[in-house]
Amino acid sequence: MVVGVIFIPIGIAALLASRSVVEIIDEYQTACIPSNYTSNDQRVQYIQDFTTDKICTRLLTVPKYMKKPIFVYYQLENYYQNHRRYVKSRSDKQLLYGEGASLADTETCKPKQLLDDQPIIPCGLIAWSLFNDTYSFTISGNAVPVNKKGISWKSDRYHKFGNVYPENFPNNLPNNENGSLIGGSSLDLNVPLNEQEDLIVWMRTAALPTFRKLYGRIEQDLKAHTQLTAQINNNYNTYSFRGKKKLVLSTTSWLGGKNDFLGVAYITVGTVSIFLGLAFFIVQWKYPRPLGDISYLSWNQKPATS
Amino acid sequence: MVDVLRDGHWRKLPWRRLVVGDIVKVHKDSFFPADLLFLASTNQDGVCYVETSNLDGETNLKIRKALERTWDYVDEERAKEFQGEIQCEQPNNSLYTFTGNLIIGKQTLPVTPNQLLLRGCSLRNTEFIVGVAVFTGHETKVMMNAMNVPSKRSTLERRLDMLILILFSILFIMCFIDSICSGIFINRKYWYLGLTSDVEDQFNPGNRFLVACLTFLTFVTLFSPIIPISLYVSIEMIKVFQVTQFINKDVKMYHKETNTPALARTSNLNEELGQVEYIFSDKTGTLTRNLMEFFKCSIGGVIYGKGVTEIEKAAARRNGTGIEEMESPAESHEKYFNFDDDRLMRGAWRNEPNPELCKEFFRCLAVCHTVLPEGDELPEKIVYQAASPDEAALVTAAKMFGFFFFRRTPTSIRVRESHVEKIGRMQDVEYEILNVLEFNSTRKRQSVICRYPNGRLVLYCKGADSVIYERLMERHNPFKDTNRDHLEYFGAAGLRTLCLAYRDLDINAYEMWNEKFVQAKSALRDREKKLDEVAELIEKDLILIGSTAIEDKLQEGVPVCIETLAKGGIKIWVLTGDKLETAINIAYACSLMNNGMKQFIINSDTKEIRDVEDRGDALETAQVIERYVAERLNESLRQAVESEQTQTGLELALVIDGRCLMYALDPELRGTLLKLSVMCKAVVCCRVSPLQKAQVTSMIKDGAKKITLSIGDGANDVSMIQAAHIGVGISGLEGMQAVMASDFAIAQFRFLTDLLLVHGRLSYLRISKVVAYFFYKNLMFTLTQFWFNLYTGFSGQRFYDDWFQSLYNVVFTALPVIIVGIFDKDVSITNSRKYPQLYKAGIENIFFRWRILIIWAISAVYQSVILFFFPIKAIEEGKNSSGRMLGLWDAGTMAFTCVVVTVNLRLFLACNFITRWHLISIFGSILAWFIFAFFYSGFRNPLDKQGNIYQVIFVIMGTWYFWYAIVLVPVASLALDFLHEGMRRWFAPYDYHIIQEEEKIKGVERDELLLVESPRQAPEQSLELTGLHGEMSKHTGYSFDSPCFDSFFASQEGVSMSQRSYDIARRASMRVSRRQSSDLGSDSPPPGHNSLI
Repeated sequence: MVVGVIFIPIGIAALLASRSVVEIIDEYQTACIPSNYTSNDQRVQYIQDFTTDKICTRLLTVPKYMKKPIFVYYQLENYYQNHRRYVKSRSDKQLLYGEGASLADTETCKPKQLLDDQPIIPCGLIAWSLFNDTYSFTISGNAVPVNKKGISWKSDRYHKFGNVYPENFPNNLPNNENGSLIGGSSLDLNVPLNEQEDLIVWMRTAALPTFRKLYGRIEQDLKAHTQLTAQINNNYNTYSFRGKKKLVLSTTSWLGGKNDFLGVAYITVGTVSIFLGLAFFIVQWKYPRPLGDISYLSWNQKPATS
Repeated sequence: MVDVLRDGHWRKLPWRRLVVGDIVKVHKDSFFPADLLFLASTNQDGVCYVETSNLDGETNLKIRKALERTWDYVDEERAKEFQGEIQCEQPNNSLYTFTGNLIIGKQTLPVTPNQLLLRGCSLRNTEFIVGVAVFTGHETKVMMNAMNVPSKRSTLERRLDMLILILFSILFIMCFIDSICSGIFINRKYWYLGLTSDVEDQFNPGNRFLVACLTFLTFVTLFSPIIPISLYVSIEMIKVFQVTQFINKDVKMYHKETNTPALARTSNLNEELGQVEYIFSDKTGTLTRNLMEFFKCSIGGVIYGKGVTEIEKAAARRNGTGIEEMESPAESHEKYFNFDDDRLMRGAWRNEPNPELCKEFFRCLAVCHTVLPEGDELPEKIVYQAASPDEAALVTAAKMFGFFFFRRTPTSIRVRESHVEKIGRMQDVEYEILNVLEFNSTRKRQSVICRYPNGRLVLYCKGADSVIYERLMERHNPFKDTNRDHLEYFGAAGLRTLCLAYRDLDINAYEMWNEKFVQAKSALRDREKKLDEVAELIEKDLILIGSTAIEDKLQEGVPVCIETLAKGGIKIWVLTGDKLETAINIAYACSLMNNGMKQFIINSDTKEIRDVEDRGDALETAQVIERYVAERLNESLRQAVESEQTQTGLELALVIDGRCLMYALDPELRGTLLKLSVMCKAVVCCRVSPLQKAQVTSMIKDGAKKITLSIGDGANDVSMIQAAHIGVGISGLEGMQAVMASDFAIAQFRFLTDLLLVHGRLSYLRISKVVAYFFYKNLMFTLTQFWFNLYTGFSGQRFYDDWFQSLYNVVFTALPVIIVGIFDKDVSITNSRKYPQLYKAGIENIFFRWRILIIWAISAVYQSVILFFFPIKAIEEGKNSSGRMLGLWDAGTMAFTCVVVTVNLRLFLACNFITRWHLISIFGSILAWFIFAFFYSGFRNPLDKQGNIYQVIFVIMGTWYFWYAIVLVPVASLALDFLHEGMRRWFAPYDYHIIQEEEKIKGVERDELLLVESPRQAPEQSLELTGLHGEMSKHTGYSFDSPCFDSFFASQEGVSMSQRSYDIARRASMRVSRRQSSDLGSDSPPPGHNSLI
């Protein structure tokens, strides 16, 4: 009962917070491939072709007034960032210190530790497979800037990634030179890792095969029914494993993004406990069992039944 | 050290240097160092006296007699000349048989058990003996009887092993599923896993089978926390604490008189104490004090004696009328005498309605016996040497009444009589003893014909009521009926009774009879039988004097204890080396048996068997007994089943003697015996050997699969103590063998109540709770990892950090469960005693049934689902207003926090009783987790290559979601358990639930007050009071167990002793003439068959 009384308001608050969030989700992995590539193999070929320009335009409608900041996410599905081989394929030491011995501390980074016998910085599968789709937005021709600063957790920026410059990074090889070595995005070799926030975000590996990552912030309000044009550079290969890619625009509440789950769960637990409390009361009222009545002891009851 | 003949001289050698064939000298009161062939003793007739209490618990002395041929090898000169050869059987464990030959020169002499002095016995009343070592060391019979000390583990612990096995199978199933799936999952299409080149075997899609195999190993390590390794450590800690702090320090089990606290010699079996269903108890020294006390008497239809027996106390308590604890009259308290009635003491009997009869009564006590006085002839100093403690008690009683028997000559008995003519007057009277008609098991009586100084010729007779009543004079016995009532009353009170009678003889008639008697005595054939027949002629037309009641002094509180234990559903068996009658009597005395019970008595002492035995064909005898036992068993079983079916509610009792048991324990009959005995409420096995005690114990242990406890005090109980699940030794008295073999040692039988009902029950409760909780906690923890791996491509990725996982069992969830294991209790100690029925829960094992475990398992599954999915939801979108996303380690840490909180709070639901230690440990553990998390996240761990958790806790604690989750998740996960507990309590409450409620309402202390407030009964009323409820007992056990205490050893296998009994008079004369210290009144049995009463 008490649980119910406490939980339902909390649940309602959570639910309201979640409901106040406006979210736009656009699944684009199929739409952004020319329609003549019908089979999956063709799509994989298409996406792996470095020569073609894979820009694609999507039209998004703002359903409700969206208050700034509006967060831009990409969502991948069927992507196992939590696979054991993947998770451990990084070197936190290298990322943070990047000097001397730790620079070469790529032991854990298999199979992306060395390129031409030189340590890869940043090494490992995670960095190598960095997401490389890019988004830009326009509203009736006017560019809507996307702020990519501060999309990573401060603790990551300051404590996990150091002033380390990428070096010998396979994705930075010229495309035509050795395509098979290239995984995801290349890195700006002139910017230290702790400022390359896309990488930082990416490297905070997700717990589930369906996950969102923050891409950037749109620092302006969007009115309802605004037509938002998204230009997508569709580079990232999720086709080979039939993974979905989604572009998500969302506002947040104090509780975070849109998620009814928490509120519903609270309300459910609260309701159930109120219900059960009532049930117990009714039972006691209808079939009272006096507390501590020793005649209910099993050995006192046996004679009565026999 | 022992004297051994080496090089013609006695040398002191340690026992271990003794070898077979050594000639050994053993001095008075020392133990025999090996099984010895008895050669010679300082007693001239080649006998020695042996105390066998270490073997069979009997304290009376046994006689051993050397072969006449070897009598003179006493001193070393002679002994060193001894040349001979001994042929004998292989070492075996039968204490009562021995066959062999002694070959001296060309002469072959048969050797019987009567010449064998067993190790473990001690020499008494004999200066020293000389013997040859036959079996030494481990080959001695007593050692052959000792079994290997089994290492005991509790049933619960064995069940725990099963549980671990189940957990292992769960582990393997989970690993199997996951590894198969991982083999299927792995695919080069997941290009970001870098599977194209340079791939280790575990992820190589080229060889999926190998992938599965290797991943299997990964999963085994990942899921290994499901095996609660710390469980064993925790349980051991709990048990040691229970033992050292609770059992060993319980004041309730501390015996002040002997300064003996309870002692748990092992900590393995605490919880086993809570599940005992069968108790096997030794009699002597355990249930009884092996002390006979003259307690009451009935003279001329008047009952004297104010004492209240233990059984009456128990009965009174049962009726709710408390009797004030009778202080035993301390000033007159002497060994063998616990009687106080001013009407009889100090000559006051002269004012009683029947002073003449009183006089006869006392004279009968003083004259009609076979006791030898020893020591100074003063009432304070004299020591009576009696074959049975009963006799000593009777003679002591006569002394206390003023008829002090102080000297025995071959033909007379001298009694110092006080207050006979006049108060204060003392005179020595000499009674001439003309004949002694001895006791034997068929006669069940003993008579003495004596002549008063004034020429009066009287026959005094005492014996079992049945035989005396048959021989009473038709008329002149006005008290016959009242006396019978009294006998029944005594019997109901658990006292051993004897009837006393006398007959004035006419001198002529006597002379005539005496001729016949002398004739019979000198008969060569069937002397025994003829003597009996002659005795019949004179033991008739008796006049009843009254009856005596002797208390076979029970240990304090035994009947109450037994009754309490019986209420708790424990069945108590008495296994004793004593005779049938004694055993039954004690069973009555300690309220194990009562008249409402249907008794099945299987006794080898029937006429049929005796007849067969007389024919002397051992094989035939065995067959007859076997047939008889089989018949009786089947018949009894049939009746038992019948009475069960008809639901008469008749309780059954089985009495069986050792010899029948030997056959009943045969594989063929074993099943029947087991079935029958399990149906019986009380089982008494008498005349059983130590090994049989163990066999009976193991029969129940292995056959009925019930938990057994054996309790005993002597070396003869050692094997039984070792055979049972739990062995309890009675400590504080002499003899440590039982204690050394036992698992628990207590000073008094009655402490069993506390040991079982309080400590045992609580230990069981606690340990089962702890085990169940560990099971749940590990299962739940591992399941969350299992769910997680369904989402990681079955790769074996850890959900929690390595450190979390390893510290989970050791730090974050370890202490509270130990605290619960130590302190939890369902009902107060007072109520544990008040409601012994609560103990049944342990016997039925309701706290550790599979059902309970399944409920815990369901709860674990449910909680693991909640605990996994709630935190994992955190990943789906931004979790605070900054819109940033959380990752794998954030989810894992959050989940782990919830797990720690939930698991610790779950304990609140599980325990019945919350002290500040619970609060400290539970919240301490949660706090420990947070502190650890702060440190772990706060500092970069140089040992850890992957700083996965670095800073994580601060990130997640900065989100609202974390706080939401930490409130919601434990509540949601515990809701099911809460619901279950609530339903359970409400709709199907356990008994302890109700008592808990009662305690809440009434308070605990009130119970104790109630006891004090109950109306006190004035001691004078106690007789009437007990008379009210007491259905008169038809059982009036007679106490005359046999003054001709034959050797138990010999009788067991029907091996006869060659020694013919001496007349008591002759023995006395021998003593007088030789001034030897051999003065034991015990006489040997008649030849041929022996009494197995």
